[in-house]
Amino acid sequence: MTDLFSGLTQEIISGIALGSIYALIALGFTMIFKATEVVNFAQGELMMVGAYVNFFFVTTFLSAAGTPTAWTFLVALGGSMIFSVLFGYILDFIINRPLKDQPIFSIIMATLSLAIIIRAVVAIIAGPISLMPFSPFGDSTVTFGNIVVSLLDLSIIGSAIGLVIIFYYIFHYTRWGIAMQATSEDPIAAQLMGIPIKRVYALVWIFSAIVATISGILLAPRIALLDTTMGFLGLKAFPAAVLGGFGSIPGAIVGGVILGVIETVSMGTLSFHFQWIKEINDIIPWIVLIAVLMIKPNGLFGVEKVKKV
Amino acid sequence: MKGRYEDENLYWIPVLIIFVFLLPFILKGLSFSYKYYLFVLNMAGIYIILNVGLDLLSGFTGLVSLGHAGFLAVGAYTSAILVDQFGVPFALSLIISPLIAGLFGFVIGFPALRITGMYLGLTTMGFGFIVKRMIIAFREWTHGSGGLDVSSPMLFGYTIKSDWNNYFLIYTFVIIAVIVGRRIAKSKIGRAFMAIRDSEQAAEAAGINLSKYKMLAFFISGIFAGFAGVLFAHTSSFISTDHFDILLSIYFIIMVLVGGASSIYGAVLGTLFIVLLDNLFVPLLKDQIHFWFNTQAGDIQSLIFGLIMFLFIIFQPMGLYGMWLKMRIYWKLFPFNPRQRFT
Repeated sequence: MTDLFSGLTQEIISGIALGSIYALIALGFTMIFKATEVVNFAQGELMMVGAYVNFFFVTTFLSAAGTPTAWTFLVALGGSMIFSVLFGYILDFIINRPLKDQPIFSIIMATLSLAIIIRAVVAIIAGPISLMPFSPFGDSTVTFGNIVVSLLDLSIIGSAIGLVIIFYYIFHYTRWGIAMQATSEDPIAAQLMGIPIKRVYALVWIFSAIVATISGILLAPRIALLDTTMGFLGLKAFPAAVLGGFGSIPGAIVGGVILGVIETVSMGTLSFHFQWIKEINDIIPWIVLIAVLMIKPNGLFGVEKVKKV
Repeated sequence: MKGRYEDENLYWIPVLIIFVFLLPFILKGLSFSYKYYLFVLNMAGIYIILNVGLDLLSGFTGLVSLGHAGFLAVGAYTSAILVDQFGVPFALSLIISPLIAGLFGFVIGFPALRITGMYLGLTTMGFGFIVKRMIIAFREWTHGSGGLDVSSPMLFGYTIKSDWNNYFLIYTFVIIAVIVGRRIAKSKIGRAFMAIRDSEQAAEAAGINLSKYKMLAFFISGIFAGFAGVLFAHTSSFISTDHFDILLSIYFIIMVLVGGASSIYGAVLGTLFIVLLDNLFVPLLKDQIHFWFNTQAGDIQSLIFGLIMFLFIIFQPMGLYGMWLKMRIYWKLFPFNPRQRFT
């Protein structure tokens, strides 16, 4: 019995780590959706690009310095951040500005085609071979009683919490954050109040690219494999966001964590005890999505929108 | 007849149909590798049938579907299992399998009553994943992810085997599908679909039963996709879950959008454009590309797809058919056209 319990706890902690990554991806496109009403299907690809860029920074520094130190990873992180700022700005320019007032159909298709383009460009530049990303913590683990948790998972959970706190602070206590809130509430009124909404949109895309890059950097060592299919993992963040209520930031985080826990537990203990769970492991997020949409389309934290004629 | 097709020159249609059936003979006379061209055209034909249905759903009714490869898979696997394992004749399977795919569309239509736009896109995308996974799960019938060998179609005692014969089988149904699609689009149902797309509230106020017509759109679209699936399974003689990827669903939507959403001819044009570009134009460029980049052909292909799609959405949202209409109006008014209107 204690064996089952400790195994379950271990799976739940590992699930929270995976869920934190889903939550970060979901946070990225929820921000964009709230501010600009654009649904970014390319968020997973932004994550993948971030992971690749970080990988190339790390390998360059490693070949220059020789042995990996903490500084290697920190400098690579800084480099990837600068890259993601530029990337977010470019995306705002090519996606957001021309597509602002298009129907939803065109926006979905534009971001999907952007995802295809990014995946192809990355595959052309980086080559078809999948890479082995470096983990800054190696394989080290922490033991509490008879529960073993990898340091990487703990760092993922820690940085996810840190990022959420930073973004909470930015949204609620800085000038630009309040400008963002005003813009997502009512763009025209915000513009009349003197808020430069084009710059606010650019800032939102930059933030979202930063979050995506960080989630990519955290996810790559966890799945210990880096190739272009990593972008598809970003799609799993959509059920997470819908579960929490699309367009709600706390919802995105809670939904992501719940989905991550469900996924790891069903892959581990549940599959062990019930054979048929094994068959539906990788579609559980989508079953959850359809169930949520049929039962409670606004999710856990969503607000019902009344459609006007 | 007159009122419904007033704006069209109907005498072109028989000419086009005759051309479609003469095309294999022309190709045979022109080129030694006509078998490859026929293979490509067959694939295009199957996709045209599916895309006519997808256009009725996404273009006319405005319900985005990102899981149409799922319906294709349902049609293909149902027919393969019915014909090969239950001994149902092919002609009967041609009727039953599309109906089953249509029922799946009906089931997916239920959530569509409450949700729209991006949520529906996500639901249908989830449907695509679930179908793929379920096919693997029912491995007694479907042989799991290993794939399934399918017999050739048998109609009226003849076995249809080569690409040459498949061409005539597929394009007979393509013509039927396009005509049926046109009739649906121009009928009361089609007008109700367009009203729902333009404004659900206004359509409801005008007395259109929203849930009935949305379900109907999914049902019809499922039937078309199931039909395409049956033809796909029996003419390609081998199916596996890899054929029904999520990317295929996205390519279907790309074909419809590039052709021009909410026009049946647009769906046909877009499918032909993308499939021919993919299979005839990209291989020509392959050597050039390999000279510059050391990469797989699939990456270049998806890069070209993505770019075409992106540029079409931003610069030509009406698609190929819209371009054609604009050109037609331009030449009709030729010397006296106001310039600014046709940029």
